[in-house]
Amino acid sequence: MLKVEGLHAGYGSVNILWDISFTLEDGEIVAILGSNGAGKTTMVRAVTGMLKPASGSVSFNNEEMAKKNSRMILNSGIVQVPEGRQLFTEMTVLENLQMGAFNKETKIHFQDNLKKAYQWFPKLEERAKQAAGTLSGGEQQMVAVARALIGEPKLLILDEPSLGLAPNIVDDILQVASTLAKNDGISVLLVEQDITKALAAADRGYVIENGRIVLEGTASELQANEHVKKAYLGI
Amino acid sequence: MSMFLQACVNGLLMGGFYSLMGMGQNIIFGVMKIVNFCHGEMLMVGMYLTFILYTFFGIDPYLAVPIVAVTMFCLGSLIQHTLITPSLGTKSFTNLLFLTVGLGLLLSNGALVIFGSEYRSIRTAYSQTYIQLGPVTMALPRLISFGVLIVVTVALFAFLKYTTIGKQIRAVSQNPVGAEVVGIDVKKIYILTYGLGIALAGTAGALLTQFYTIFPTAGASFGFRALIVVVVGGLGSIPGAFLAGIFLGLLETMSALFISPSYSDLIVFMTFIVILVVRQTMIARRK
Ligand SMILES: Nc1ncnc2c1ncn2[C@@H]1O[C@H](COP(=O)(O)OP(=O)(O)OP(=O)(O)O)[C@@H](O)[C@H]1O
Ligand SMILES: [Mg+2]
Repeated sequence: MLKVEGLHAGYGSVNILWDISFTLEDGEIVAILGSNGAGKTTMVRAVTGMLKPASGSVSFNNEEMAKKNSRMILNSGIVQVPEGRQLFTEMTVLENLQMGAFNKETKIHFQDNLKKAYQWFPKLEERAKQAAGTLSGGEQQMVAVARALIGEPKLLILDEPSLGLAPNIVDDILQVASTLAKNDGISVLLVEQDITKALAAADRGYVIENGRIVLEGTASELQANEHVKKAYLGI
Repeated sequence: MSMFLQACVNGLLMGGFYSLMGMGQNIIFGVMKIVNFCHGEMLMVGMYLTFILYTFFGIDPYLAVPIVAVTMFCLGSLIQHTLITPSLGTKSFTNLLFLTVGLGLLLSNGALVIFGSEYRSIRTAYSQTYIQLGPVTMALPRLISFGVLIVVTVALFAFLKYTTIGKQIRAVSQNPVGAEVVGIDVKKIYILTYGLGIALAGTAGALLTQFYTIFPTAGASFGFRALIVVVVGGLGSIPGAFLAGIFLGLLETMSALFISPSYSDLIVFMTFIVILVVRQTMIARRK
């Protein structure tokens, strides 16, 4: 279970996140919603140790993460599919997936996890020997998700999986996330600008504006919320 | 004909050195996006290390190669950890320019203070042994160096392609953010990469000692050629640097053979300029 409390973070002297608090239960899908520059990716970076929080606490299964480095946080089971995918474009698909096995345990389980990843995304097996940079955007996103799954996440963070992708591919990827949450008890933190899609997949959600959480609720509450409708759904 | 073959072999040999230097430079550039302006001086340090090991400890220059490589690796790692990594944090390219140029000056002047400006050389019992290979005659040290260069180059490619550390080095150079996402310790890779690049330069130095004179600025021409190799072969590209190095070596010996040895530097630099201009116009056209 993830519990973020009073998180402040920023770059250098510029503070971006103000007093961010939210929770995420096992097997739950929680959406973090917000428009361009709201601070969503900054929040992901602070939770995954790629950015040291200025203050606040990030506790995962009752362990404090805020002081740990990204590798230690990865080891405790928080794995992200980063914004923009961040693949190794000149490596093959298979090599990219191998890079996802970051410790002894995941290296030992690699073949099993690879088989599972290929079941989720059969396209990737056909493309295993191809350089990742030559894949289509949707296929690259699949590689990024598969690479994260190879790392055996307990908490999977998806940072804007919809970015630049066709709607049906986004649905596929969200479908995989839902199934993982339901069947394997993996928690999913879904960071999105596409609020309609995100709320269709999520159990609950939080809305970030200017680095602050301004709204929270269940998916249906947020869908019905006047502010959300006006500001984000254009209704 | 035999002159031509002889020049080919010599060109390949020198090309092997340029490749090794260029590949080291490019591994460093790929990972940290910095140009290591003291690469040639590191080759010179490798030469003097070999010289010391031979003169004072009686260690054969080829047996010295692994010792030199390991020592240079440690030196490189130390420099990375104490000097370069902290400067990378400032994101100032002038800082890093001054840092590596300054290190180069420090090393060549340090060598001048310690060893003086005399030309030194290593002459072993087999320095003057010649081997006849069909139409080509080669001094034994050149032949051995040639063999070692091939082994080191193949090993380097295999290392980068198949080992975990090698893959991590490629990962960091292709996508540093992605590397952090999959838990690669980027700072550790910096240290290993710079150590490796410097070890390759030192190895090149050690392999040169029996047929190249050792003096404080002996590395300069190699350092400069490494830069040419990097620019011609493509910044950060290891296969590119390999091919460009071989090409440069062949170009040098062929122009010495067919035109005149005194023009070979001129021709090398002219070709370099022509390649730059052609490439620039091609890039401009594409836009
Ligand atoms: N490396 C950085 N250095 C300084 N400021 C940054 C950096 N990265 C992001 N910012 C700033 O932080 C703010 C929040 O950016 P962030 O990337 O977290 O937004 P986001 O919600 O993920 O937006 P998007 O939907 O466009 O991805 C922005 O104002 C941005 O300019
Ligand atoms: Mg973002």
